[in-house]
Amino acid sequence: MFNADENGGRNALRILGMIFCGFGIIMLLGAITGFLSVHMAEGGGPLNLAGYAILAALISVTLVLAFAIWRLFRQMKRSDQKVPQREKVYNRFLIGSFLFGGVTGLVLALTGSFDETEAGLISNDAMSPMLAIIMSVAIGVFMPAVTFYWHKNLVDEQEEAAYRFGALIAMYAFWFIAPVWWFLWRGGMLPEIDGIALYFITIFVALIVWFWKKYR
Amino acid sequence: MKNQLKVLRAMRNWSQADLGEHLDVSRQAVNAIETGKYDPSLPLAFKISRLFDLPIEQIFDDEFEGGDNV
Repeated sequence: MFNADENGGRNALRILGMIFCGFGIIMLLGAITGFLSVHMAEGGGPLNLAGYAILAALISVTLVLAFAIWRLFRQMKRSDQKVPQREKVYNRFLIGSFLFGGVTGLVLALTGSFDETEAGLISNDAMSPMLAIIMSVAIGVFMPAVTFYWHKNLVDEQEEAAYRFGALIAMYAFWFIAPVWWFLWRGGMLPEIDGIALYFITIFVALIVWFWKKYR
Repeated sequence: MKNQLKVLRAMRNWSQADLGEHLDVSRQAVNAIETGKYDPSLPLAFKISRLFDLPIEQIFDDEFEGGDNV
């Protein structure tokens, strides 16, 4: 029993693997949707051999990634002889959030919520007012409530410290990257500062540091 | 900070998950404390002290060797 979970540190790599596979699946589903959209725009009809080959390859890689996630998840479950109750709820909450986000994104993409000129949610292109309101309510109302519950009930002090350190490093990243970008833009070497790009860089830095501090 | 947590846990044949359950923290937190990567807060240190029925200074070692009270 004492050594039952001494190899638990490998779970960090498993979680990282699942996240990368998840992103891969989202990108591949986008590629499949885009491929079929282009085909339909060009008149539709049956695909030629090359088209089938491309589609089969995209679907195969998607399935391989889905299988990889399932295997990593199974390995993680096996390594967990027993999980503290707080962690169980935490894991369920995390998986639920990922599923909710993934399914919502998939539904938005597959129901044609973006017009053909849009690159998706992560772009500066125009979007429908309805989608803009949905996203604003989700991020401005739903997410803060979920985040409050998350920090109040599920996160322990070690993870809270990881969040704090991640936030500190992300703040410094913002402080240094924003002016460097601004100066290089003024020097004609970079495009104009993109606030949303800076936002994602900041979030990414915070997440990387949080992950390192929590699971290292 | 060095500590005796792993030894005390072994004496009770507890897994990190078992200790995490007693302390209401995750296994990552237990692992981080055991390996000295994270120093617990004072409330958590007292909780650990009560759980093992030992004074805090017998569980945690700040490696202070000086004679002054500082």
